[in-house]
Amino acid sequence: MAIPYNRKTSAINEKTNKVLGVNLDDARISKSYLSVAFIALLLGGLLGLLQGLNRAGVLELPVWLNYYQVLTAHGLLLVVVMSAFLTIGYFYAGLSHTLGGLLPKVRKIAWTGFWMKIFGFVLVVIPILMNEASVMYTFYPPMAAHPLFYFGLVFIVLGVWALSIGAFINVAHWRKNHKGQHLPILAFFATGVFVLLVGATAFVAVEVLFMIIPWTLGWVDTINVMVARTLFWAFGHTAVNIWYLTAVSAWYVIIPKVIGGFRWNDYLTRVVVIALVIMNITGGFHHQIIDPGISLPIKFMHVFMSLAIGFPSLMTAYAMFRVFERTGRRKGGKGALGWFKKLPWGDVRFLAPFIAMAAFIPAGAGGIVQSTNQLDQVVHNTMWVVGHFHLTLGMTVVMTFFGISYWLVPHLSQRVLTPAMNKLGVVQTVIWTIGMIIMSFSMHTAGLFGSPRRTSFTTYGDFSATLGWDPYMAAVGIGATLLLIAVILQVYAVFNMMFFAPKGETEFPIAEVEPGETPTPYMTERWGVWVVVMLVVIAMAYVLPLTDMIVNAPPGSPPFKTW
Amino acid sequence: MTQFIYGLLLYIFLMLPPVADLVESIMITHMHMQMPLLVISGMLMGGILKSRFPRFFEKWNSNGIPGITLFMIIVIYWTIPRTMDEALTLQSVEIWKFISLPFLAGIPLRDSWKKLSEAGKNIIIIIFTIKYFGMGALYIWTPDQLCNNYLLIDQLTLGWGFVTTAICLVIYLVYTYTVDPSEYE
Repeated sequence: MAIPYNRKTSAINEKTNKVLGVNLDDARISKSYLSVAFIALLLGGLLGLLQGLNRAGVLELPVWLNYYQVLTAHGLLLVVVMSAFLTIGYFYAGLSHTLGGLLPKVRKIAWTGFWMKIFGFVLVVIPILMNEASVMYTFYPPMAAHPLFYFGLVFIVLGVWALSIGAFINVAHWRKNHKGQHLPILAFFATGVFVLLVGATAFVAVEVLFMIIPWTLGWVDTINVMVARTLFWAFGHTAVNIWYLTAVSAWYVIIPKVIGGFRWNDYLTRVVVIALVIMNITGGFHHQIIDPGISLPIKFMHVFMSLAIGFPSLMTAYAMFRVFERTGRRKGGKGALGWFKKLPWGDVRFLAPFIAMAAFIPAGAGGIVQSTNQLDQVVHNTMWVVGHFHLTLGMTVVMTFFGISYWLVPHLSQRVLTPAMNKLGVVQTVIWTIGMIIMSFSMHTAGLFGSPRRTSFTTYGDFSATLGWDPYMAAVGIGATLLLIAVILQVYAVFNMMFFAPKGETEFPIAEVEPGETPTPYMTERWGVWVVVMLVVIAMAYVLPLTDMIVNAPPGSPPFKTW
Repeated sequence: MTQFIYGLLLYIFLMLPPVADLVESIMITHMHMQMPLLVISGMLMGGILKSRFPRFFEKWNSNGIPGITLFMIIVIYWTIPRTMDEALTLQSVEIWKFISLPFLAGIPLRDSWKKLSEAGKNIIIIIFTIKYFGMGALYIWTPDQLCNNYLLIDQLTLGWGFVTTAICLVIYLVYTYTVDPSEYE
């Protein structure tokens, strides 16, 4: 029953949006977020190249810019700044488009959040530049940065909370005015993402506010390292999955429209979102699978919790290929695989996210290896892990974001994607793909041979076994160089489309559900219940190891500056 | 039928000796994982019984109160420390656990929950909230071992598990009290 309603509203929305065009006030918010994101990509990419060349053994970094400083900045710029700003810019554009514009107070909240995040980020950057915070983006105690670094993180978290509250207000307002209807699907994804953002950052806020800041200020002498790491990974793992869920939203909602098809199974889509929200935070434990102080039965149970997250991903893979197959056949594709050729391979808005999806097959498999205790023993803290997250974040997530940028930026700027820019996008996608495949394959391989992560270039006194890693590390340098070329093309494309491309209207591509689909039950809309279920799952998963870590705590550690 | 099969599979899975040994080896997973999962398996299996014997459920549980009372008795019985101990030491009590939780708690819960009024449901949740805070306090502050089979640290963990669950229930109650579904649905 609710689906036809939904279709009617989305048709009305579509009409209003066509007549009025994009809301310029809302577009300014999203464009600001996207600009920061792509500037961060440029800087982060440049630092990535420095690291790649250093690990390849061809570049010695000057004394005033050490490897770990570069590594910290690279991680923060790309994992925290770029991904978060893209996610927020994209979802705020989506909320504005599907919910009939942002409310004036939400707009104010969004700007407040923006400046809080920027202020926080400036605070974080200062100690990094001073080489007072080379603690990497995971800032594991007992390594301690300058307190300013952590105060900056607090402001970033406050900014995220402001934006989440803004999104919830807008969603609640829409629902009050559209009783009994399902939330438009992109806003539904946005709700899930902002719920997770609040949940994830709550953990890191506790870690930073109540543990690290008092410790770096000298108010307490020691810190419980295990608890800090556990709280960090409840955040860190979820953050990664938030970017992934953002990419997934584009796969379900945007890509079917780009290829000229329909969205398949609204119910399944919403269940996938809910499942990812409920089960996500507890997955953080698999990052600590080698940590001492967590008993084996707990680790064993958490393997289940981690692998459970794989289940919605498999549902996604099925749904995506079903959409591709149906659309290809509708366009005249014959035989078992004829539909594959009918997909718009020359369209960067499809090509980039498709490669992103394909990359998730090896990336997901690698993830399963890492959450399996015995297999992880081989690869933990080696270059394998670096290869893994360059596949997941650097390909699956970021390439989807790139694909999004080729319609979102022109849409927001009231410009168009020209065929020449599309071609540049395809070239950029190809270069990025080749670069990332070379880099991540070599990282995985070097990791299997034992090359550790987070170490600057060394030949280990020309020890013969470790010299065998060098060809792979040279390949990492080659990959990093290709990637920086692709970064420059991408950033050029974004700012060209934002300010210089020909004027015109670009649609915000949101696919409709397949005609005749059975209605989605209303229970998917009961977010209050899902949030409580999520909290119960978190409580159950964390109470056992945390009580053990706190009650049976070791003496704790004073702060260390290891660099 | 599909639900019945899933319920049955879950029930058999929980009965497998390695699974039962693992979850029973830790106090909190014994009480907060195995027992709720047994109830859930009963709820899943209950659907088929409801459709097979509608008259029975109508006759004995027309307004849901007898069913929910039976559910409460069974569940409260299994939160008593002594019963957990006995389940580990006496085979007959272990068998009783595997029968009582799915069939005398899970099935009545499924049949009763929808028959209860909104106020009735909230009263049940409030009773559990108070009980969970109470049990939490008991397990956290008791200086003695309450179960022969579990260590003090296990007991403390279970106490915090009760408290955190109770906090989640409070959040749910606040949500139902402050958010009026008729404004949205």
